[in-house]
Amino acid sequence: MNPPGLFSRPASRFARLLALAAPGLLAAPADPPAADPGLPYVYTKWEQITTQDGLPNDHIFAVRADPRGDCVWIGSEGGLSRYDKQTKTIKNWTEQDGLPWRVITGIEVNPRTGEVWLGLFGGGLARFSAGRFDHFHQLNSGLVNDVVYAVAIEGDNVWCATTAGASRYNTKKDKWDIYTEQNAPMEEIWNYNVCARDGQVHLAVWGSGILEFDTATEHWKIYTDPDGEMEIDLYRDDGVPHVITTGASYVDKILWMSSYFGCARYDGRHWRGYFDHECGLPSNFNNNLKARSGQECWYCTDKGLGACMDAETCTWVTYIPDGKNHTGKAIIKRENQVLKVVDTGYNVPQIFQICVDFDGNDVWAGTSKGLGHGIGEGYYPRLRPASAGVAQTTAK
Amino acid sequence: MTTLWKQLTALALGLAAWPLMAAAASMGGGKDPILIGVQACAACHDGPARGRQFSKWRLSAHAQAYAALALPESREIARLSGITEEPHKAKMCLGCHAAGAEAEDWEKAGGFHLEDGLQCEVCHGAGSEYAPEDIMKDKMQAMMRGLKMPTKDDCLTCHRAKGSHDAVLRTKPFALDAAWLAIAHPKPGPPASETQPPALPASPFKFTGVMACAKCHTGSPFNFQFSQWRRSRHAQAYAVLATPRALEIAREVGVKGDPQSLPQCLECHVTANQDGADSRLPGYDARDGVQCEACHGPGSDYSPEAVMLDQSAARAKGLREVNAQTCQPCHQKAHGKQFDYDLAVKRIAHPTQAPSVAVSEPAYKNPLNLALTPDGKELWVTCEASASVVVVDTAARQKLLEIPVGGQPNDVCFTPDGRKAFVSNRLDDTVSVVDVATRKVMGTVAVGDEPHGVLVDQQGRYLYVLNTATDSVSVLDVATLQEVKRLSASRSPWSLAQSPDGESILVTHALSRFVPDRTPSLSEVTVIDAGRVVVEDRLVVKAANLLQGVAWHPSGEFAVITLLRTKNLVPMTRINHGWTISNGLGVLWRDGTIDQVLLDRNDLCFPDPSDVCLTPDGKYALVTSSSSDQVAVVDLARLIALLKAAPPSERARVLPNHLGKSVEYVVARIPTPTCPKGIVCSADSATAYVANMLDDSVTVLDLTKLEAAGRVDLGGSKELTIRRRGEKLFHSANISFRRQFSCSTCHPDGHIDNLVYDIEDDGIGMGPIDNRTLRGINDMAPYKWIGINPSLKRQCGPRLAVFITRIQPFSPEQLTDLHYYLCSIPRPPNRYRKLGEDLTEAQRRGKALYERSHKNNGQPIPVNNRCVTCHPPPLYTDGHVHNVGTKFAYDRDGKFDAPQLQNIYDSAPYLHNGIAPTLEEIWTTYNPYDEHGVTNDMTKDQLNDLIEFLKTI
Repeated sequence: MNPPGLFSRPASRFARLLALAAPGLLAAPADPPAADPGLPYVYTKWEQITTQDGLPNDHIFAVRADPRGDCVWIGSEGGLSRYDKQTKTIKNWTEQDGLPWRVITGIEVNPRTGEVWLGLFGGGLARFSAGRFDHFHQLNSGLVNDVVYAVAIEGDNVWCATTAGASRYNTKKDKWDIYTEQNAPMEEIWNYNVCARDGQVHLAVWGSGILEFDTATEHWKIYTDPDGEMEIDLYRDDGVPHVITTGASYVDKILWMSSYFGCARYDGRHWRGYFDHECGLPSNFNNNLKARSGQECWYCTDKGLGACMDAETCTWVTYIPDGKNHTGKAIIKRENQVLKVVDTGYNVPQIFQICVDFDGNDVWAGTSKGLGHGIGEGYYPRLRPASAGVAQTTAK
Repeated sequence: MTTLWKQLTALALGLAAWPLMAAAASMGGGKDPILIGVQACAACHDGPARGRQFSKWRLSAHAQAYAALALPESREIARLSGITEEPHKAKMCLGCHAAGAEAEDWEKAGGFHLEDGLQCEVCHGAGSEYAPEDIMKDKMQAMMRGLKMPTKDDCLTCHRAKGSHDAVLRTKPFALDAAWLAIAHPKPGPPASETQPPALPASPFKFTGVMACAKCHTGSPFNFQFSQWRRSRHAQAYAVLATPRALEIAREVGVKGDPQSLPQCLECHVTANQDGADSRLPGYDARDGVQCEACHGPGSDYSPEAVMLDQSAARAKGLREVNAQTCQPCHQKAHGKQFDYDLAVKRIAHPTQAPSVAVSEPAYKNPLNLALTPDGKELWVTCEASASVVVVDTAARQKLLEIPVGGQPNDVCFTPDGRKAFVSNRLDDTVSVVDVATRKVMGTVAVGDEPHGVLVDQQGRYLYVLNTATDSVSVLDVATLQEVKRLSASRSPWSLAQSPDGESILVTHALSRFVPDRTPSLSEVTVIDAGRVVVEDRLVVKAANLLQGVAWHPSGEFAVITLLRTKNLVPMTRINHGWTISNGLGVLWRDGTIDQVLLDRNDLCFPDPSDVCLTPDGKYALVTSSSSDQVAVVDLARLIALLKAAPPSERARVLPNHLGKSVEYVVARIPTPTCPKGIVCSADSATAYVANMLDDSVTVLDLTKLEAAGRVDLGGSKELTIRRRGEKLFHSANISFRRQFSCSTCHPDGHIDNLVYDIEDDGIGMGPIDNRTLRGINDMAPYKWIGINPSLKRQCGPRLAVFITRIQPFSPEQLTDLHYYLCSIPRPPNRYRKLGEDLTEAQRRGKALYERSHKNNGQPIPVNNRCVTCHPPPLYTDGHVHNVGTKFAYDRDGKFDAPQLQNIYDSAPYLHNGIAPTLEEIWTTYNPYDEHGVTNDMTKDQLNDLIEFLKTI
């Protein structure tokens, strides 16, 4: 394993050339060895929740921890579920219980009012409040389309990413706005995901990159792939790696994004791409993502759950389950170097990851075979020195 | 050419122009026409060669239409229409009395003045694109650029019969043919060169023209000075030179030529004619006749406000003192007429301040709700009609003072320390914050639409305000008065009460949730977790509606609400034995179960239970019946015992409908004066106070004796006006058999109850119809969804007695009173667009869609299938019935009256049978064949835009 240093990061071409051409310059005076930045936290305690535990369906499309901290909302192909963290019981709502549409692809909880907003795949939008479902669809409201992939709450507004554009519903004024190629820089209108935070709304638009909406100025900005629609990232770190995007997450003024062809991070000036061949991202095919901070982001791929735990050092933890044998492992990587493999026991229920959310120190991961719950006892952000006894290797 | 021939020619031209217009439209391009104003038209369209068209208009009533809004009759008409704004500021009035009332600023050129009333462009279309002479000479071109040649039908948009106007003006019915002839203004021949007035030496100050004066000297702050001038002969002085009499006078004095261009005539008939063109600023128009500056001097230097406010400075800048010398030079040569200066100056007097006259209009209070200060020493009563809160000394049982607050105050509450009071103002959409010690309004906070109930939680942290028209609850931080969140309620939240332990707040709702067609009501009681300030539960009260009052039992084990059980699904063929509406209470238990019991008796009902309070000792529930002038005293121990003794099936199915049970728990029915509404109880359970809305009083109840012990007069007028009599009838259940309901039962606040009724007259089981709002009902004939009633009096006359109230009909005098009141029910202002406000981009696009004549693909839309045809401004109804493809299987006919669209956002559901809960569904679901306007070619965002515009109407 190469020690961290000059060649451990994909340094710029110029730096590499300089290093090769003028070793003398770089060799003298001798640098002391770089300090070990440490290791990230690894979730080693997991539980799995499936239909056997009471979920109506194992295809988990959406998961959201309630801001109150007492429950987790789960959206699946079979309805809405509420997991009570204290009693560890599940309550379900299906169409018989008034749920307007059984397939739930997006969930957001209004932290002020406690209302649960649901994106319904083919059913529009629903507000769930104290047992009552209010249904908004394209025939009875200004919602642009009933195929809603995701929802986000921004102040008094509820945003919906739909297959035919984005809708913004002002709940105070009862006013709907539609954003399509007519009034936004969308080259395609298939909105896959939406997130809202800190005055910015980001749309992940299939075929149109990431759109950023400033809520104060109501201006749009678009992030597309400067390479055009090439399947490879021709020039590194020049923008989003591909325009077929699946998610965006904006935290601490850092924009994280995912696509079917890799991921990236943008700090407002610099882009950094992430690909499976050079870091801990398990696969370039990403369904979703969620960032915890400007340094940490979790990616839901078709080959496992990849968590960039420290962006500065490109340190990742990748969770790979063995569904057949109910075991699993976490691979710690820094850039392309495996630092450690940790036996976590059975972690996420299935390798195909669909959604993820944070719940304090815990993490919830939705897959096509149920929900994984990573219990974050002793969680710490970023890295700690390896000597601190982190990253256990003993099997559960 | 004869008039008929001219009309036919115009029609033929219009029809012939259609494909050209369509082609022009489909080609796109061209600017949106804007209004240029009559002065621009007059530049060409006057003088003998042009048939003196401007002068003819100027002498017509159209030219004075705006000024007429300053008359007392206009104010009365506005009052009779429920219009709360001044007529010259009301969209509804200006829609027929001025051009461009709803136009945005960009749609009006600099020379356009609203004050010119009904100008050329009202009939002929906005003229910016067709006014240039080279365009105007080619009629086809002009029509392609917006010139319209109106037909008689266009006149009827405004000149249709309006009950409000007929009632006040008592004019003869509008004779369309005669009026058409009277305003005819044909052009007699080819244009001739016009004589220009001779140039004369310039003066030191310049003339600004009357429209510059009108910018300030208009409206009630200036006693409508412009309007007074506009209605005077001075304003017509130039135009009158075009009359045959003027020609005759000219001949008599040996003057040849056109009086409108003769200096001898213009010297007196036009201001500043003897001054040169250099003495007149742009905007000055000689055609305005004898203007302000004829008497007051050229105003260029004294008209700025800073100068005008200082009389001596204004005089130094040319403001003249007016005396007999001002008038006499012209009036002494007044063609043989005697001039009496003293008489004349009184006639044209236009003081800035209106002379104060004794208020002849009786003023009422209409007390609604009340609250006791935490120390119990004062009772604060919201008075809707007087926009005030009356403070009563409870010990002395006397009115202490009155505090002016916002429009239509509804409810009042106090902070736990008693220092602040909050008053909801449902006309203004605000809450007044009152300092209790100083009795002053310290501030006003904006909340949602039409706020009703208010409550401060027991900790004094949050103020809850029920936004009745927007189905939400505003939660405000009491300290900062900032709205911290808005909770979703159900339809029309009405009042609220906090549990004794402070944990929960219950919110009642006047309207049922939307339910599928022909299914029973489901009304909600929202439960708010007062600790976390979120909605934690939504209790559903089945088959009940108009849940208004709410109060908790001191034990906290249950709460009591008032309710109606309206059986709207069965045909209204009878109303005895509780057939149509029964009235009672709901008992809401802590575990979420709900009991319903009645307060009616078999032979006599307890209509419109409005409010309830429970004595702090838990013994009684006191319930007001606002339509039968009584308070029912319910023995709670007996009631609870009865409920607990009954098996579940009886509790669920029998007790809610049993008219005989009330005798077991109603221990007294205390008569009160007219229309008791809110009720509160003292902390010692000994006394209750009832607000009597139509008696302007508070009744004091002695709860030891269960009888009325006193009356506190709140100070309203004792005179019974026609409106007041009508209001009492409206709120009285004596108009119905066995006193089952009043008009206000189905029309609380003059509005809707969200129910669909099957009235017998068109067949049992046939034609269930949605209940419509009464706000703004006047002038919207015909009535009934099928449009068979030409007037409200017909609507509320014998037919009402036969099919609804099932008792003797109103006497003619009663009908007159009731009719007056119905017409004057105040209509709230439109919350989406105030007069003069710009449209948003979406609303503007929606307006274009509303007025469109072509589909997206360029195909023309038949005139009869355009929105604006059946719903033309300003009334947004053409007063005709139409088949819009909404006939259902149980409708006898498919033609329905085009409803007016004012505040349409506020009166869901829609269509004649209330089948569409939202505006969108009118077209997405119930217009598959484009029979209700052409909408199927619209994109989703176009439909959204259309709806955004509809909300502004």
